[in-house]
Amino acid sequence: MIGIISYLVFFATVASILSIAVLGLNLQWGNTGLFNGGVVAFFGAGAYGTLILGGTPQAGQLGGFGLPYLLALLGGMTCAGLVAWIVGLLTIRLRHDYLAIATFGVAVAFETVMRNTDALGGAQGIRGFERPLRETLGNGFTYNLAFFVFVLILLIATYLFLERLIQSPFGRLLRAIREDETAAQSLGKSPSRVRLTSFVAGSVIMGLAGGLYATFYAFISPQDVLPILTFQIWAMLIVGGAGNNKGAVMGTFLIWAAWTASGWALSRFAPLEVQLYTGSIQFVLIGFVIVGMLLWRPQGLFPEKLVVSQSAKNKSRLSNT
Amino acid sequence: MNGLKTSALALGLAAGFASFGTDAAAQVCTTKIGAVLPTSVDWGKPIAATAQYAVDIANETGGVAGCQIEMVLRDTQVDPKVGVDAAKALVDLDGVQLLLGAVSSGVSMPILTSVTVPAGVMQMSCCSSSTAFTRLAEEGKTNGLFYRTFATSGVQAAVGAMVARDAGYESVAVFYKNDDWGQDIGGLVADDLKALGIDVTASIAINDAQASYRAEVTEALKGNPDAIYMALYPKEGTQVVREWISLGGTQNMIAANALKSDEFKENVGMQFLGNFTGTDTASPRTDSADAFVEAYTARFDGPPNGPGLANSYDATMIALMAMHAAGKDATGADIAAKVASITDPNGTPVTADTAGFAKAKELLDGGGTVSYQGATGNVQFDKNGDVSAPAVTWVFSEGGIEEQKYLTLTEVNDFMASLN
Repeated sequence: MIGIISYLVFFATVASILSIAVLGLNLQWGNTGLFNGGVVAFFGAGAYGTLILGGTPQAGQLGGFGLPYLLALLGGMTCAGLVAWIVGLLTIRLRHDYLAIATFGVAVAFETVMRNTDALGGAQGIRGFERPLRETLGNGFTYNLAFFVFVLILLIATYLFLERLIQSPFGRLLRAIREDETAAQSLGKSPSRVRLTSFVAGSVIMGLAGGLYATFYAFISPQDVLPILTFQIWAMLIVGGAGNNKGAVMGTFLIWAAWTASGWALSRFAPLEVQLYTGSIQFVLIGFVIVGMLLWRPQGLFPEKLVVSQSAKNKSRLSNT
Repeated sequence: MNGLKTSALALGLAAGFASFGTDAAAQVCTTKIGAVLPTSVDWGKPIAATAQYAVDIANETGGVAGCQIEMVLRDTQVDPKVGVDAAKALVDLDGVQLLLGAVSSGVSMPILTSVTVPAGVMQMSCCSSSTAFTRLAEEGKTNGLFYRTFATSGVQAAVGAMVARDAGYESVAVFYKNDDWGQDIGGLVADDLKALGIDVTASIAINDAQASYRAEVTEALKGNPDAIYMALYPKEGTQVVREWISLGGTQNMIAANALKSDEFKENVGMQFLGNFTGTDTASPRTDSADAFVEAYTARFDGPPNGPGLANSYDATMIALMAMHAAGKDATGADIAAKVASITDPNGTPVTADTAGFAKAKELLDGGGTVSYQGATGNVQFDKNGDVSAPAVTWVFSEGGIEEQKYLTLTEVNDFMASLN
């Protein structure tokens, strides 16, 4: 019994961390229409930043500054924000698929740089990170539970922040730019500045997710920032429903559950001779889920709710009565 | 409910009798062990199949500590997230105390730091070669729970340098696969060559799945080396060698064990491999190693030529013997503590087959220790859970792959000491 709870806590922690990244992407794609194809670059910048700032010194490697954990995490988010700001300045005038290709290139470049820079861990990655409060909480279930609560608080905070943001005038501006940039510009708004703000904000949120991920595993290597992660995060957003924060979170839990549960079920119930092929079968199953979703419910499980504005909502309520 | 139980028991017994003959009478319990291996990758499947083969052997002798072993296999997809989740599920949901895996160091490491060490589960990797594990163990952060049967890259790098010296090459260019294994061995071989007074004209990283390696090859050609050293996998190795030779590079080639494949030989062509020498840490000099090759060939219709197969076999066998020594319901730490009595150089030698496993169980039950003579030789772990191993050099021939020279453990150790 304790095993099941322990695993569920573990699962929920990973899913919550990924949810935060998906929320970041939802701000960029769902609300602003920025096709970020390089989610892992910002996720990775947060992860590497956190471990470099908060880790213990390693021979021949940059970092090991041993900063207090929260500072390290903030530093990781800042790293992600800086990378996003530079990338954003260079690419923000690109639209749709062009932006996707450019950011995808940035993500591949990020992974290659990490793989080849010995001072940043090289292909062996960065280890030697002391998880915060490890001494007090021990190393077992209590620790995982406490960390889960910490992640959950951050997930709720991010969710509430984004909910407020998209209901604010700024949120309306984001959607205006997404729908018709020229129209927004004609009203005296500066689309490129707003797009950059949204891009950086979303990336900082992804950086937060990356920092938490690296903390949880106490390790990060280039293998963690392969393009498959970008694909997974996109799949979560598409299944959940782009433009809806609740959908983003639900989509993450659903896809990650499908990913892990299918592996578990296949290992348990598939006949022995099929066991060796479970990995491939799993890819096919998940592919089916995503294709089926796109065919029968392209708007996602939780479609975006279209609210023009608070005052318009009130007005329509008045005229109805 | 009772009826269900009885019939399940009867079914289980029937199955037991059917497959395990006379030994089955005592078999009513099952112990689970976990395996997290990249089965969705072509070279990962045989590694998993070999581990299962070792489990079958243990079960044929009547199981481990009185129970049949069930290996629950999970795929890592070479994705750290997926691998860690699989490991966590095995530890929490299936309650395994022994975890085999993973292959990539980038997956084995987060499993070790976030799953097995916190849960006190023993982890035995067949194939992770990164020196980061050694450093982690030196810092005391593995709690003695981590072992691997894949010799650190140091042995192969040293032997590669020795081959270059013996052949009289004065300059060597190094190609290495751009991952943790390749970077490790590429750096080590360059250091070893320099220590022997051999000029390293270039060290060039080879990224996976490029359409062409012309730029990399041209870069290496500039230094006009006497020979090239390759720490590459067959796919990229084939392409690099083809382009290297077509651009007029030397046919003097030295390579690490990853190129020990028939596929590589056939795709490059025997006429270009006359001066090719490979290195490996396997030491088929004991009867049990020959027996492994024979038994493997009989079971899988082909010799064990893929990377990591002998290591996977030994990892599983040693872990299961240690599990037997630790007794029923042993924890990961108990099992890990017993590994030393399986690989005790002063113990009674046992072979790596059914008879050997049965004999080891008998000796261990009597309180003795055994010296496991495995598919990779007489395996011995150091205090960090690393293995040192004897080495061989090998060449390609018309008939397949032939061993050229055998270096005993002492010879390897002496040579490595002379480099420092």
